[in-house]
Amino acid sequence: MNNTVDTAPVSQHDNSKLAMWVFLGGEVVFFIALILVFLLARLVNADYNAQFRSHLSIPVIALNTFILVTSSYFMVRALEAVSHGEEKGLRNNLLVVIVLGLLFLGGQAFEWTSLFNEGVSYSTVFGMPFFTLTGIHGTHVFIGVLWAIYILISHRRIPYTQESHVGIENFGLYWHFVDIVWIVLFTLIYLI
Amino acid sequence: MTHETTERRANYLGVFIILIVLTLIETLVSYVQQDAIKFPVLIVLSVIKAVLVLLYFMHLKFDSRLYTYLFVAGCVLAIPLILVMTIVMPIIAKY
Repeated sequence: MNNTVDTAPVSQHDNSKLAMWVFLGGEVVFFIALILVFLLARLVNADYNAQFRSHLSIPVIALNTFILVTSSYFMVRALEAVSHGEEKGLRNNLLVVIVLGLLFLGGQAFEWTSLFNEGVSYSTVFGMPFFTLTGIHGTHVFIGVLWAIYILISHRRIPYTQESHVGIENFGLYWHFVDIVWIVLFTLIYLI
Repeated sequence: MTHETTERRANYLGVFIILIVLTLIETLVSYVQQDAIKFPVLIVLSVIKAVLVLLYFMHLKFDSRLYTYLFVAGCVLAIPLILVMTIVMPIIAKY
């Protein structure tokens, strides 16, 4: 049963994976603070909320959400491939993750450009929390894409093996977390 | 390919399909005009999606509980922030 794993002493956990989870715990606090600021701006300026929302394109962002969720699936497939010693599977799935990550960033760039063209600027009541929140998330995606590219390049030099692939696992945790943040943002910013 | 591999791959695909379907439902629900129905449905769907990713894609369901505690600790640490904002929000909204 799971009891053996659950009661494992801390020393038996991989240090880098443990550090990644501590980091993600910190990220939770960081993003909750940003989301609260956005919700505060929304509550204080309820009248402007509808006006701001009219500029947002739900179909475009829904497509972007599909892209990020799909990238998460390919990430988990990449991890599965390396844990079974399938080098080609790791490379191909990681490549799909990179492409989907870039597509997501492209979608966000398209959205931002459309908003700027419609006169929504950073210095407005909604512009500031909106661009800050989506921008910081986008930066996380960008860092994830760079990380994935680094894994692809370094994989030739230091191949990940069936037994030792915690680097991929840590990247996967980061990527899925970025996906979770977007799942929450999609609902709170665009749908509600 | 072992039986376990096939089963795990099928599970991931299943979770992925559920996530896609839920996203589709969310998008459609967002066009509903009644906020009293829309808000709780969207929040519940969003939480289900986040938990699915955490449990299956991030392996919290199968991994050590310590990782779950660390993640939950982040949520717990955010509670004071939420409380302060909940108190401050109505006060600021008045002005």
